[in-house]
Amino acid sequence: MKAVARLVYSYFMGAPVTRAFTIVGLVLLAIDFYMLTALPQSGGTLWAAILGLIAFFTGSSLMPVMFGRLARSHSIRVLPHGRIKLLASAFITTVLVALPAGILSLAAFTSGVSVSKSLLVLAEDPKILAFVLQATELTFTSSFLLVCWLYLAMWFITSERNLAGFIKGLLVVMVAIFAPAREIRDLSVSLVWNLQQIAAIWIVFGAGFLLWPRYRAAIARRGRSRFASFGNKLGPGISGREFDLLLGTANPWLLIAAQVCPIVIATRIGYDTPSVWLYYLTIFSTVAGAIAGQAAERSRALWLRGDWSRDALFTQVERAFWRHNSYVLGSLLLLMVGIGSYAGFSVTMLAAGLPLLVLGTVLSTYLGLMITRGLRTLEALLGVGVMLSLMAVSVLVASERVDLVAVITLEVCLAVLAVVLRSVARRRWTQIDWMACRRDRALSARGA
Amino acid sequence: MNNATIEASNLSKSFGEKQVLRDISFGVSPGDVIGVLGKNGAGKTTLLELVLGFTAPTAGEVRVFGHQSYNLPGQTKARVGFVPQQDELLDQLSVADQLRVIASFYPRWDAEMIARLCADWSVDLKARVKAMSVGERQKLSILLAFGHSPELLILDEPVASLDPIARRQFLEQLLTLSADGQRAIVFSSHIVSDVERLANRIWILKEGRLDWQGDLDSLKESIVRLHIRGAGSELPELTIPGVLTVQREGAFATAVVRDWTPEAHQALEKSASVQIEVEPLGLEEIFVELHR
Repeated sequence: MKAVARLVYSYFMGAPVTRAFTIVGLVLLAIDFYMLTALPQSGGTLWAAILGLIAFFTGSSLMPVMFGRLARSHSIRVLPHGRIKLLASAFITTVLVALPAGILSLAAFTSGVSVSKSLLVLAEDPKILAFVLQATELTFTSSFLLVCWLYLAMWFITSERNLAGFIKGLLVVMVAIFAPAREIRDLSVSLVWNLQQIAAIWIVFGAGFLLWPRYRAAIARRGRSRFASFGNKLGPGISGREFDLLLGTANPWLLIAAQVCPIVIATRIGYDTPSVWLYYLTIFSTVAGAIAGQAAERSRALWLRGDWSRDALFTQVERAFWRHNSYVLGSLLLLMVGIGSYAGFSVTMLAAGLPLLVLGTVLSTYLGLMITRGLRTLEALLGVGVMLSLMAVSVLVASERVDLVAVITLEVCLAVLAVVLRSVARRRWTQIDWMACRRDRALSARGA
Repeated sequence: MNNATIEASNLSKSFGEKQVLRDISFGVSPGDVIGVLGKNGAGKTTLLELVLGFTAPTAGEVRVFGHQSYNLPGQTKARVGFVPQQDELLDQLSVADQLRVIASFYPRWDAEMIARLCADWSVDLKARVKAMSVGERQKLSILLAFGHSPELLILDEPVASLDPIARRQFLEQLLTLSADGQRAIVFSSHIVSDVERLANRIWILKEGRLDWQGDLDSLKESIVRLHIRGAGSELPELTIPGVLTVQREGAFATAVVRDWTPEAHQALEKSASVQIEVEPLGLEEIFVELHR
């Protein structure tokens, strides 16, 4: 139990940034709880709750990273009950992160239906009490499910850091967005269904996680995995310029496939609300540029082997990424037009949405190229800010009464930001220090 | 312009508050095979990466073939080979493809030598990089650094993951490469016996400084163990110049000293009326004594 508690504590408080997010999240949630129980309800209470929940969730973002690293480590094999404790810590963290939504929901409903804002008063009316408790349970379980999916997406993306990881992450993001949206549309959400989903996720994930070592041992005894032979079949097809191979931009088609597959699945689910599609495609546009975050680290081998100064290397790397991203972005824009006709996008929405996707890719590419000294607070905050801005614009574009002036202004602002990010990235590359940009080495710990 | 391969002057490097290298100066010429020794965290990798221009010095300067290392031109880079501590191989490729990719960056590539080395080192050209063991990956990294016959070869703990046979083959290849006296090799290693076998010059890094730089024989002559025997039952008080460690027991004492010279030997015997026997030390013992 001590180990589990220590792990959970580390997930929230392990790094200065996550610690700050956790504390800010808890403070905001406490303030919101007070506002809900002591003051009249207003729009401010909703925003405080949303920001608090986002901050608290962000504060726990070490969980999937640490979980992934420990799960793959050799030490987990020798730690007593290591896997079970790790799994328990993940479950408890998910419960903790989902819990505030349930508590706030309970506080909101209680204060909404009871003048004295007390559950004891509600208890006198069994029907109202049942309604409030049911709403709370639904909020908690829905929140729990969403947190599960988001952790899973983060785990795939952060632990694998390759296209396979992105594909898995995008699939999970798709489920996380579309499943709740569909339930809201169909009014099909129910406590039993939520509990069934939670049970299914944790039983499958838990069993897979706990039995994985046995599976691997069995595979090793039998020779090799069928998946491995599948991977080998993919291999000889790899082609591309040597520069791109070293940089990881040789094959845009994998990323295109990674985008098309979830979208095809989403269309099979049958969801057709334009706002959700736009939101979803905007997220995809940023993923296209995310691989640029590895460029600095990978470029060391290029610098040593080519006739490029640091400045010239940036130009080459930038070109390589645009060669790669132009295919990915092009396919995404085509998909948007296709989906637009399928989901009934308005002309205004298409006209404002297409530049938004371009901006998503451009901004994320230059944010990635800016990372020349590891992911630090500035880059993390910029990343969160850019994502939130893009999301906000997508919500504005998809709203019933589109304020075109506001949308265009915001898009112009984002374009200016992209130019600024590019100039920062270029300046950083002219002074790139390959000792500082390797993710496997913490700068402060560097001695040799 | 002289023909020095590397020239470093007053080189310092800090990471934030932490100073990793302090005021280091050295020169490397063709024919030098330099073994860099130091404890973990002594600054070996930092020193090698400064030479390669991966990072800028906080103070001082490194020149490689006359060019500032931080801004090496392409022709100069083509004269440098590097084996990193952690390989930078492309997992999705086969060995043959990986070799082809790297070969394409160089105007000269000795495909014949690489083919021969692949055969000698049992490197399967058809194998997929991601399926290779750590040792096999290390062999491939070394091959990639050898292929363009670099005039300066820098290796950061290249043999750490190799089995004894592969290590021996690798050392033999390095000896072959260095035999023509036209190229310089700088390598760091914790395997002192390898350094002793291969290097003709030694750098010992301690607390960010080059505690020793010079040829191996001079090092062995300079740092020695003295067995001192007094005339009576108790050894008189001794002032031993350059003493690193000393152990006394009755009429006997054992001391490890640095910068030992025949003159110092004679002077001590005469002034303290003692008999001194000098025991040469192996490189590993010297390294340990310097770090006590």
